[in-house]
Amino acid sequence: MRAALLSVFVLALLPRPALTDVTGAVNDHVLPAARHFAETADALADAATADCRAMSLRPAYQDAFDGWMGLSHLGFGPLEQDGRALTIEFWPDPRGLVARTVRGLVADADPVVDGPQAFAEVSIAGRGLMALERVIHGDNADYGLDDYECRYARAIAVDLAAIAADIRTDWAEHAQLMLTAGTADNSRYLSAKEPEQALYTALLSAIEFDADQRIGRPMGTFDKPRPKSAEAWRSDRPLRNIRLSLAALRDLAIHMSDTPIPVTETAFETAQQTAMALDDARLAGVADPQSRLKIEILQQQIRAIGDAVRGEIGGGLGLTAGFNSRDGD
Amino acid sequence: MKTTLAISALACAIAAPALAGKPEVVANYVAIAHASYDDSLTTARELQSAIDALIADPSAQNLTAARAAWKAARVPYMQTEALRFGNAIVDDWEGKVNAWPLDEGLIDYVDPSYGGASDENEYAALNVVSQKSFTLSGNQLDAAKITPELLSDTLHEADAIEANVATGYHAIEFLLWGQDLHGTDHGAGERPWTDYAQGEDCTGGNCDRRAAYLKAAADLLVSDLEWMTAQWAEGGEAATALTADPDAAISAMLTGMGSLSYGELAGERMKLGVMLNDPEEEHDCFSDNTHDSHYYDGIGIRNVYLGEYTRVDGSVVTGESLSSLVAAADPQIDASLRAGLNDSVAKLARLKTVAEAGTSYDQLLARGNQDGEALILAAVDSLVSQTRDIERAVNVLGLQDIGFEGSDSLDNPDAVFQ
Repeated sequence: MRAALLSVFVLALLPRPALTDVTGAVNDHVLPAARHFAETADALADAATADCRAMSLRPAYQDAFDGWMGLSHLGFGPLEQDGRALTIEFWPDPRGLVARTVRGLVADADPVVDGPQAFAEVSIAGRGLMALERVIHGDNADYGLDDYECRYARAIAVDLAAIAADIRTDWAEHAQLMLTAGTADNSRYLSAKEPEQALYTALLSAIEFDADQRIGRPMGTFDKPRPKSAEAWRSDRPLRNIRLSLAALRDLAIHMSDTPIPVTETAFETAQQTAMALDDARLAGVADPQSRLKIEILQQQIRAIGDAVRGEIGGGLGLTAGFNSRDGD
Repeated sequence: MKTTLAISALACAIAAPALAGKPEVVANYVAIAHASYDDSLTTARELQSAIDALIADPSAQNLTAARAAWKAARVPYMQTEALRFGNAIVDDWEGKVNAWPLDEGLIDYVDPSYGGASDENEYAALNVVSQKSFTLSGNQLDAAKITPELLSDTLHEADAIEANVATGYHAIEFLLWGQDLHGTDHGAGERPWTDYAQGEDCTGGNCDRRAAYLKAAADLLVSDLEWMTAQWAEGGEAATALTADPDAAISAMLTGMGSLSYGELAGERMKLGVMLNDPEEEHDCFSDNTHDSHYYDGIGIRNVYLGEYTRVDGSVVTGESLSSLVAAADPQIDASLRAGLNDSVAKLARLKTVAEAGTSYDQLLARGNQDGEALILAAVDSLVSQTRDIERAVNVLGLQDIGFEGSDSLDNPDAVFQ
């Protein structure tokens, strides 16, 4: 019923059928995002090579995580390959595997951190941004230059930079695949519609991830809020990640549409204003009934973006979301 | 005479082209689903009998027999998993019977290396078998008598934590095998049969309560499967709903295939385990039966597409297939998807072959085991690639608009501000 109403509304609003601009999305959204993340990860590795103590690493860590938020929603292709997205950020982590793995490596002073090739074999729960957060924002973050944690932090940073560089290289190649969809020798994208669907699926699943995981996890239930299940709360990033994610998703939505998307833009604007107005970096307010309501409203507004995208971009283009790697439990 | 017959047969073929109708395809899907759950129920009843025998007469032989019955029961059940994601009636229910992974310390004793309560789960080491009374989420509970209701209504997902799995195949698996303490070395759980011995021979303490727990879990599994089997019988809720809306049913079939192939099996259950090098990320980690679970998931996905299911008694349920629908719309996509399904089953079979020859799935997960990683990731890649063809099948059948639902926030904009 509502689907039909919205379609009518959208059709009335648009002067002509919307077109997907894969070229624009790839050149002006995806490739710059991959480049930016590679640069920030590289700067983190440089900082760690110069001085691997926590205080020295924290600013570059924030920048690299910011860079990741510009890219992480593009979960297919280069980020899917070798499980790179999960290696860069292993979250959510309901079984506390990051804590356990980091503790294990530190307790054993495992020499695996001393060679980049060996380190690449380590469990992803001991690598990436979430493991590094444990080291530089955890209980033993006052480690010194000669401590194991210092070498470990450096190993994580260097590993991240290497992954980010590979992603940047592979995206250059994957971009060509997306732009030559439907040509005879392209076995990845068999028609022009397939890269459109890949971008559309990425957009929708990232919106769901913001609502269900980034907000839903700390929300828990009214009787049992779980602020410590928020993403990267030790480094004060839960709200920042949501703001950056919404900005990145809005940028993708704009670039992938050839025509104006006023319904979607309004939905983004509403949610982004709510997110900017919140003054609660760690979303700790989930435990307080008054501030919890504001966070819940943000969650609903983000879900409303999904509805707008489905109606305006999906409906307008005859696109349907494909399967995404987070389907399942 | 002969000629006339041949001509009229031809005329019929032209009048009604060899295009399977959606209602026939859906009817066959419902028949396969019903047979699969019915087989799951039959084998679960055999498991229940074996558990009754173990409890009545604890012995090494009876524990071995119960373990064998558990493994047999997994064969039809895992094939039903392809029905799960497209059908809310299954997805809302399946947590009762196949929830995983679990913090097994909730149920019974564990090794000290398991640790205690965690940040995420304060009941990770509750050990209900050892405690007749305890506090749960602020309530004092009487667990003097271990009943199916205690498991399903109180303990399962206690404190709203999914890892508090108190019921289903994996709870039973833990009670039959115990923890696998071999890490990524060879060997499964080694729970001694004396954990069920009564009187002085009892090991692990509270053997009577452990037996009562196992019995309650087995009874619950049977009653849960009875319920689901009935939903797929004629007049059952699942059968009726799907038959009434063939387009939605076709969409549900493909959704189930794609979500299990990609996010669940390839991602959550396989790739993640390799990337974490964590033997507890094995689906059947206590029994080392993971290779079988994955393999029969693969078979189940293919069953849905080919419209064919081989029952545990050897009979075959078959009829009009999704494959024929797709072939009529685009033969190339159908051929590619059929080849993809065969390939993923073959790649999953390699894991089964290796495990049956003595190298269990958890060994393949060890840090630095390149061959193991390659073997698992080849199956993952095959599952991911078949998912693309499933998406193409969805598109070519023109199912774009199906599943397009409104939501509270747009149906009723004021709801956002309530």
